Amino acid sequence: MDKETVSTIAHLSRLSLENEKGDKLISDLEEILEFVDQLNDANTENVDPLSSPLEMTARLRNDDLNSKDRKSKFLSNAPDSNEDYFLVPRVVE
Amino acid sequence: MTIQYKSIKELNEMLNNKDISPTELLDETFQLIDEHKDLNAFVTLNKEGSYKAAKELDSKDAFSSLEGIPIAQKDLFCTKDILTTCGSKMLSNFVPPYTATAIENLEKAGCLSVGKTNMDEFAMGSSNETSFYGNVLNPWNKDFVPGGSSGGSAAAVAAGIVAAASGTDTGGSIRQPASLCGISGLKPTYGRISRWGMIAFASSLDQAGPMARTVEDCALLLNEMCSYDKKDTTSLNVEIPDFTHNLNNEIKNKKIGIVKEFDLSKLDQNVVKNFESSLDQLKKLGAEIVEVSIPNISLSVPTYYVIAPAECSSNLSRYDGVKYGFRTDNITDLENLYINSRTEGFGEEVKRRILIGTYVLSAGFYDAYYKKAQQVRRLIKNDFDNAFKEVDVIVSPTTRGPAFAAGSKSGDPIQMYLEDLFTIPANLAGLPAMSIPSGFENNMPLGLQIIGNHLDESTVLQVGHNFQVNTDFHNQNPSKGVS
Repeated sequence: MDKETVSTIAHLSRLSLENEKGDKLISDLEEILEFVDQLNDANTENVDPLSSPLEMTARLRNDDLNSKDRKSKFLSNAPDSNEDYFLVPRVVE
Repeated sequence: MTIQYKSIKELNEMLNNKDISPTELLDETFQLIDEHKDLNAFVTLNKEGSYKAAKELDSKDAFSSLEGIPIAQKDLFCTKDILTTCGSKMLSNFVPPYTATAIENLEKAGCLSVGKTNMDEFAMGSSNETSFYGNVLNPWNKDFVPGGSSGGSAAAVAAGIVAAASGTDTGGSIRQPASLCGISGLKPTYGRISRWGMIAFASSLDQAGPMARTVEDCALLLNEMCSYDKKDTTSLNVEIPDFTHNLNNEIKNKKIGIVKEFDLSKLDQNVVKNFESSLDQLKKLGAEIVEVSIPNISLSVPTYYVIAPAECSSNLSRYDGVKYGFRTDNITDLENLYINSRTEGFGEEVKRRILIGTYVLSAGFYDAYYKKAQQVRRLIKNDFDNAFKEVDVIVSPTTRGPAFAAGSKSGDPIQMYLEDLFTIPANLAGLPAMSIPSGFENNMPLGLQIIGNHLDESTVLQVGHNFQVNTDFHNQNPSKGVS
């Protein structure tokens, strides 16, 4: 894993690695990837990937309203909000 | 009279004999919680809610199996108006507006939720050392880990504080701590218990399940935890049998598989000896031991450590410091609100898995890692399908050894990941599997794992119960020591 890959992955993950534990983390990641490279031992030609043990099609349901007036409860968990919205720093000047 | 170490069945008898009332049962439970504070098994207590529920039951004449039984809930299940942290700083202020279906089912059956149990952060860990709220200690020896991620639930049951607890299992998080703490724990078939209200880690692997002192108690809990839930798109709409029905049927002529490819020679030799004596016990009960082949089983751990981090990186992208959970104070713009909230809110192991997951899903690596792992996952599932044409259940040790000292593996992720060597395959294939106490090494518990065929929890429980009726390992406890 070169530094550039690591910084791309960190950016995609929205995580900062700029602290004293960054180096240890990178060497751990390399070790883990080396460990999972064992998968190359398996012959998977013409094998369909399995994404869920159930292999069923997700059910559809109607988008029915079944509980009302929970806005304030949900907003009360937000770090910052006003009556109707989650608040974040200004994005457009 | 003490309620410590009593099973659900024993507590139910006490309630029905009017030896104790639900409120008195809670008084004693909270006293036990207080006496065992040093275990750090609980993050949050629910005194108000549980006493309110108990008072409503106090005047009853007859109690059904779970009515009035105190239970501890893993802090991964959302509980309405009760802090739910998932072991993370990220959710240190999260109070869910709803309750998980599995917990709601238990409460409807009369269980009294006494509190939320400590766990590895976001269920990522096998030792309970990654919790933001501190390590949980193993009641058998406080220098040792209880296992993880459902370590608080396992420790609370093992210490006799509660007769039952809920857990969740993505790669062994019910079975491994059950084994290390000397209790019984079952991960049902994927889809048996609703995942609605469970904080997601790896959605194709996560499954809730019961943890208790006995197999019989696990069956009682499973009866209530299962339901078809429209709110979970992978919830199975299948018949839910009475899981206690089959327990006492003898296991004569049952075919019990052992996996040829599990190389036991590299294991702790006491674990091997213990496993062999478990097999002897099963033979004594008339079961036939048959060797089965799961050729790709040795690839389970590497398969898991691609798939689980991939799903984790996707699931945990929701924690952005905006809608709920932790937000950093260190903000200059929206981008660094995200980055700093996530960097400060997640612990090391969680970050490690998010990074691995992001990497294996990213352009250029997807086919080599993620798709490859999903293909191997199918091979492993096919292997199990074939094996279950020959046998009724498959058994193995639950873990490579007994509980280990705190700190001894936490610096080495691969060694920690190998803790789940025997438990991960059942998650990849979506199969039911349980761990039951099978003996001791240096006074620390060991476990026997029983894996069943798709939706066949009944046979797993039947084999486990027959084993327990003829052994005494599950009746030992840390106070009296091993006899």
